[in-house]
Amino acid sequence: MEPAVVVARGPRLFLLRPGAERPVAFAARPSEEDGASSDLAVPEGLVTALAAVPPDTPLRIVDPAVAPSLVEALERPVALATDSEAHRARARVPAEDPAEERTFVLAVGRARLRAALRAPEEVLVTLAREEERVERALGREERAAESFLAGPVPTLARYATLWEELRAHLTEHHDRLVATLEEAARAVAPNLSAVVGERVAARLIAAAGSLDTLARLRAPRLQLLGSRRRPSPERGPRFGVIYRAARMGDVPIDRRAAYARSLAALAAIAVRADATTHADLARLLTARRDRRIEQLRRRGR
Amino acid sequence: MREARPFRPWKESPRLVEHPRRDRTELWTRTAAAPPAVYGERWSDAPGGPYRTFDPMRAKLAAAIVRGWEGDLPAERERWLYLGAASGTTASHVADLVGPDGAVYAVERSLRPFARLLALGERWPGLLPVLGDAREPRSYSALVPPADGLYADIAQPDQIAIVLSNARLLLRGAGAPVLIALKTASMGRDASAPEHLRRAEGELEPVLALERSVKLDPFHRGHYLVGGRARAALFDDGPRPRARRPPERSRGPRRS
Repeated sequence: MEPAVVVARGPRLFLLRPGAERPVAFAARPSEEDGASSDLAVPEGLVTALAAVPPDTPLRIVDPAVAPSLVEALERPVALATDSEAHRARARVPAEDPAEERTFVLAVGRARLRAALRAPEEVLVTLAREEERVERALGREERAAESFLAGPVPTLARYATLWEELRAHLTEHHDRLVATLEEAARAVAPNLSAVVGERVAARLIAAAGSLDTLARLRAPRLQLLGSRRRPSPERGPRFGVIYRAARMGDVPIDRRAAYARSLAALAAIAVRADATTHADLARLLTARRDRRIEQLRRRGR
Repeated sequence: MREARPFRPWKESPRLVEHPRRDRTELWTRTAAAPPAVYGERWSDAPGGPYRTFDPMRAKLAAAIVRGWEGDLPAERERWLYLGAASGTTASHVADLVGPDGAVYAVERSLRPFARLLALGERWPGLLPVLGDAREPRSYSALVPPADGLYADIAQPDQIAIVLSNARLLLRGAGAPVLIALKTASMGRDASAPEHLRRAEGELEPVLALERSVKLDPFHRGHYLVGGRARAALFDDGPRPRARRPPERSRGPRRS
């Protein structure tokens, strides 16, 4: 039995009935800007037209974003089209006006990007990268200030005062940025923030790209995230951004790699909780972390 | 006396030209866009232009042409699907090749490169940026009409499966070319680069009439351009596995 297929193209949905010569078009989106939402609104006309399709004709849909709302509206089984059904249906949809199509694709691109950037996770990634950059800039300025010799020359002394002001401003800017970042990190990944500290949590997420990708990493990979040296069997890196994690300073230097391993294992658990179950493991994991630090300190002597 | 060094069509193609220099022959694409440059490439206002350098060190497609690719290339007025467009370095050249009357649907998944690609698309005739994951062609199939060709530069372990799932759904039909810039380094370390190429060709052979694959050394180490025209068999339904993310591969012993 030849199926009836619903296929989306640009701002329209097309219904292709078996036997019918031409597909019927329905405007699916009220405006261009709305084209981004992955939940397409199903036009009323399409529901009526589909209800008129004989019950023994199977219904197929190409675009999975449309399917749930259509099933809801129709109370009748609608299956995803197979690739060949979709391919045949797409070939029968009439060509669009190039200029109109271009406007539409660009509008969808803008809207999808805007929607994606609104996610708290993306905000965190942006903040983390910005904080890293400002921190580097601040470090550079301060190192340069140390080697700057003004001497008793008024011109240079005046310049040094102005420069000092700039650094003070930059420090303040950085402090505020860090406060914003820490708040964002606690909101997105509370467990991970508790285990490794907010800034390192943010940097880990930024290095992985998203919370979800970070949650998929195994502990050894997480331990090396952000390291610059190339991994090799002979002399690989032992730390990535985790070197700046909470309480790393409390561990004797020769035990830090061991701490990094343990911490990465705990962090992997924490981030999986943050990405999936949202369980509160902060107290449990920090207790384990602190116990491990005590162990390492005793053995380190 | 300096003799004039002409821009002349490369194999009679209207939008791809070669420009002989003292030590080598450069490739340039004729563009319908206006400056500024996309990624610092050189522009020329020679007759028939403007032209932009198509650098084999930057673009795998250019490297493939230099290394003697004999298969199809994006041609004027065609609509191409470009998977893995990143910020649009090569995609802008593909848009030049299809010209202002063609279209390149440039799919990219990462937000930050896509933001730059979108800004480029706003000013580049024929370049249409699509934010989407190439693993899920249905998520952007509404934006892409049946395509005359497919170019993929996605460094993924299962890149062949991803490309085929896109080709099956979005290509115009049999005879449409599929070009894959194969990055063997992303396909695991259990095989050498030539071994990966052989495996990929074995996977593609039933559904594509393969051209001779081209090694992109020394421009892009461990890369190949593989591809050919789609056979009718590509569009048959069969019990094929879906493109899915394979488990993370272990990268050998490590000391820490």
